[in-house]
Amino acid sequence: MMDAFVSWLQTTSLSHAIVSYLWVWPAAETAHFIGLALIIGTVGFFDLRLAGAFKSVPVSAARDLMPFALVGFGVNALTGLIFLVGHPEQYAHNVAWWWKVACLALAGLNAVVFELTIGTRTVQLGAGDDTPVAAKAIGVISILAWFGVLFWGRMLPFIGNAY
Amino acid sequence: MAWIEATALATWVRESPSLWAYPTVLTLHTVGLGIVVGASTVVDLRLLGYARRIRLSSLAPLFRLMVVAFVLNAATGILLFMADATTKSKQPVFFVKLLLIFAALWCTMQVRGVVGRNDVQRDAEVPVRAHRLAWITLLLWAGAITAGRLMAYL
Repeated sequence: MMDAFVSWLQTTSLSHAIVSYLWVWPAAETAHFIGLALIIGTVGFFDLRLAGAFKSVPVSAARDLMPFALVGFGVNALTGLIFLVGHPEQYAHNVAWWWKVACLALAGLNAVVFELTIGTRTVQLGAGDDTPVAAKAIGVISILAWFGVLFWGRMLPFIGNAY
Repeated sequence: MAWIEATALATWVRESPSLWAYPTVLTLHTVGLGIVVGASTVVDLRLLGYARRIRLSSLAPLFRLMVVAFVLNAATGILLFMADATTKSKQPVFFVKLLLIFAALWCTMQVRGVVGRNDVQRDAEVPVRAHRLAWITLLLWAGAITAGRLMAYL
């Protein structure tokens, strides 16, 4: 079924357009890397606060940068979709790509768990307050998951066969 | 340049089938990029007036993180250059990338000076000069990333 979907995707005019305009791919890659830096920086800073670093920063203040993380995520979701629609065949059977998706899911699930459990209490912690163990765990898991996304993305051409 | 490419180290990075060779060097270069540019971006956004409740002085440890990640990227960058020295040394965009990185580094050091000077009382008001500096730094890093990506195409 997945192969049928891949074949169909390749026949779409959008897929053709992405591949035939030669500037689209490098432009999307460049935006994807800038988005990467924006996510690692802003999410990483909040995660480090959760993990117990930057204690002089109120947790809610560290979270004020999250809109920029969403911008980075939006840019990378869009450019990632461009890659996927352009060349679906090089991701569908690529083990590195599925690991990347798994790490993304872990990062997302981890954030949802934070929001639904200790989030409200944790963002009330002010300057100098230590974070509870659960917040530290969530911060560390988030950092590992995002670097996992980066690692498997970079490994796409080497463990799989994508570019 | 040919002799650099012929060294045992360069040959290993380029030709070893091991994931520890070229793929790991390239991945570490990307990890370093994320940390250097990401941390720099956090400081620059703060200087631009976002997340004002973060005291500027409390961001000082980010510069240590940037230094560590930059050393990682200088080292992995040298390895990547060695592996492909004859081609890369003829690529104009490679020298554009180097120039943009040095300019961004210089600006980041100026930003570090601004962060160091600000005390808790004056924290809320970031000087106009620092606004400009933050913008220029962000644009230079984006330019360096663009040039780096284009090395695979131009």
